[in-house]
Amino acid sequence: MQPLANKRKTIFHIILLLFLLVLAACATSTRSHHKTSEIRINDDFIIVKATAKDTLSSLAAEYLNDPSKGWLIAEFNHIKSLTSGQELCIPLFPFNKGGLKSGGFQTVPVLAYYSFSKNKPSKISITQDDFKAQMKYLKENGYHVITLNQLLGFFDYQEQIPDKSVAITFDDGWISVYDIAFPILKEYGFPATIFIYTDFIGGGKAMSWKQIKELSDAGFDIQCQTKTHRNLTELREKESFKEYFKSLEMEISYPKKVIKKKLNKECECLAYPYGITNNLVIAMLKKYGYRAAFTVDNKSNPFFIDKYKINRSAIYGKYDIEKFKKRLSVFQNMELK
Amino acid sequence: MKRLCNIYLLLFVLFIFTGCAGVREFLGDVTDKIEEKNPPKTPEDTKVLPASSYLEKALEYEKKNELQTALFYMRIAGTLNPDSTKIPEKIASLKSTINYKARQHFTKGVKFCEKRRFKDARRQFLITLRYSPNHKEALDYLKNRLDSKKYLNYKVKEKDTLKDISKKFYKNPSKDFLIAYFNNLKAGNPPVSGTILEIPVLESKFNRFPIDIPIELIKAENLLIEKKCKEALDITEKILEYDHLNKKASDLKNSAYYQMGIELSGQKKYPEAIKMFKKVTPEYPGVKEAIQQVINKELIKAKTLLKEKQYEQVFAVAGKILDYDKSNKAAEDLINITFCQQGKDLIIRKNYTQALNVLNRANPQYDCVKKTISDVYKAKNKQAEVHYLNGVKHFLNEELQSAIKEWEKALALNPEHKKAKKNINNARNLLKKLEKVK
Repeated sequence: MQPLANKRKTIFHIILLLFLLVLAACATSTRSHHKTSEIRINDDFIIVKATAKDTLSSLAAEYLNDPSKGWLIAEFNHIKSLTSGQELCIPLFPFNKGGLKSGGFQTVPVLAYYSFSKNKPSKISITQDDFKAQMKYLKENGYHVITLNQLLGFFDYQEQIPDKSVAITFDDGWISVYDIAFPILKEYGFPATIFIYTDFIGGGKAMSWKQIKELSDAGFDIQCQTKTHRNLTELREKESFKEYFKSLEMEISYPKKVIKKKLNKECECLAYPYGITNNLVIAMLKKYGYRAAFTVDNKSNPFFIDKYKINRSAIYGKYDIEKFKKRLSVFQNMELK
Repeated sequence: MKRLCNIYLLLFVLFIFTGCAGVREFLGDVTDKIEEKNPPKTPEDTKVLPASSYLEKALEYEKKNELQTALFYMRIAGTLNPDSTKIPEKIASLKSTINYKARQHFTKGVKFCEKRRFKDARRQFLITLRYSPNHKEALDYLKNRLDSKKYLNYKVKEKDTLKDISKKFYKNPSKDFLIAYFNNLKAGNPPVSGTILEIPVLESKFNRFPIDIPIELIKAENLLIEKKCKEALDITEKILEYDHLNKKASDLKNSAYYQMGIELSGQKKYPEAIKMFKKVTPEYPGVKEAIQQVINKELIKAKTLLKEKQYEQVFAVAGKILDYDKSNKAAEDLINITFCQQGKDLIIRKNYTQALNVLNRANPQYDCVKKTISDVYKAKNKQAEVHYLNGVKHFLNEELQSAIKEWEKALALNPEHKKAKKNINNARNLLKKLEKVK
């Protein structure tokens, strides 16, 4: 009796195993997603024929593992949208890292904002409506607002960014950034960087650390603008050179530690108070491991800009949209043949 | 049984969760084999545009001088049409044109940079990157070498202290802490000799640097154009004193020494010319060839001196060549040939001892040296025989004293001459007997 029971058990196990294998085979066939009309060229390109379901974003997600890189496919194929049956060449590498073209090179405007008000503009304060209009203009005119990391990748000649790229930054840490600018940026899905000077935070018109944490958690980059916002290039009255040097060290090292402590994030960039700097400050930034620093020079930036003197265009309160547009230069003409 | 059921349950859940990917990995070998049996899709299977359309695109971009894009499309066309023999040729030709153009524009950029025409240099480096996006040197120039320097490099000398260096650069010894800070040194400790320090360039309101390097470089460059090499050299040395790694100053220094070498060579002052060339870094274009040319001229001179039997001068010229180039075979050959020639002359003059002294200074591995030494010994033996026979003649004429003198000469030339030795003894005995008889 015993051997017969054992035989039955064995047969049962075999049947169960086969059943599982069949099930697995089904799963394999349902999850196969590659297109029938795709050719891989030397690990550099894939040629695909778009179907009715495809979008630039879905193709970027499928082939570049990043849905936000639809622009890379669009720019390589010189198209703005997809049509069914269209044949596309998908580059699997950054094919133009510096944004170089025969007629010139790409430049990236970095916009510097300060504070905002509901409806009363001042030199450094922009009204809610004006800011909204500016963001709307960016969205409707094909600008891509890029992150700080993308910007630095471009300056390092490592990463390709969209042709019409722009970066948004805020200085100081005003509460109005949280109250007015943050909801508008969220609405448009734009990333931004906030440079705070740490002594200001928690004060009357400034954001609290809690609010800054909220912005940081929402994906905003929090970087520093020194401890006290002192002019880094001038000696104060009766200040000796040695005292000035010690003060610089404090201005540069302290906010790094505070940001790390409060947000558990590395601070790698600095915006110079009043946008000005000198060689000593730059040498000290390098010593403290800063990757880049920003001035307020109203120019756009090519990839070969000095990373410790990145230009930013200050956007002031009384700027109309025409003036704003002039700050958005994304290309520098120069015959490169 | 219960345990087995658990295993099946676990397997079941695992397959459900991992789905396609998991099973594919699980059955990796099987699927791979299936793919191997079904070769990759051909262009017809995929129904994409034919290769010719990509080829057309590539040619279109090539016409517009957009060579990298042309290359992209050409590679696609090549993949779609693997049997084509023309496409690989075209790809190779495109690559070669791209490399040539990148090189051409990069060289132009460097030249503009040397002339401090930075705007023009930048444009050339950008064009270089358009042709060759991974051109590291062009990128380095664009990123690091077209702006003013933020710090200088100083090579620490023996007995230098940080205060000395601070005084030298900042005219103020109390800024030594700054140098210590940026070089991770302790302010009190002297830096190690030979270390290269980074000295931050301060704004003029903090201190004025004792030397304005960009202006000094222009001065040196202009002096070189005017062929005032010595003055240009003084300036470059001064710049390098403050900025040890200044490439432009090093280049100008090399150029000055090179020009001085050429000038001296033109004046036929070859040893002095070589001295100048030796101060140029060996990588400097043309310097190796220039040294070789001078050495060749010196060798010709030495050969002429050999013909004129000016042996000591030959040794001096060839010796100097060996000082510059220890492995110069032609100079070594010449020295040994000269020794042989000198030895032969001394044989003719019957100065065998001197001949052997000279030949002992030569390299015994040389055939001519071996032969000449053997000739010396042969000549010595021959001469000894002459003296021996002269002695015999004197002996027969009963001139015993003269005979002894000749045999002694023979013995001096050939100490192994047994007959001479024996005859001297016999003659001396005879002389003694004659004395007694008297």
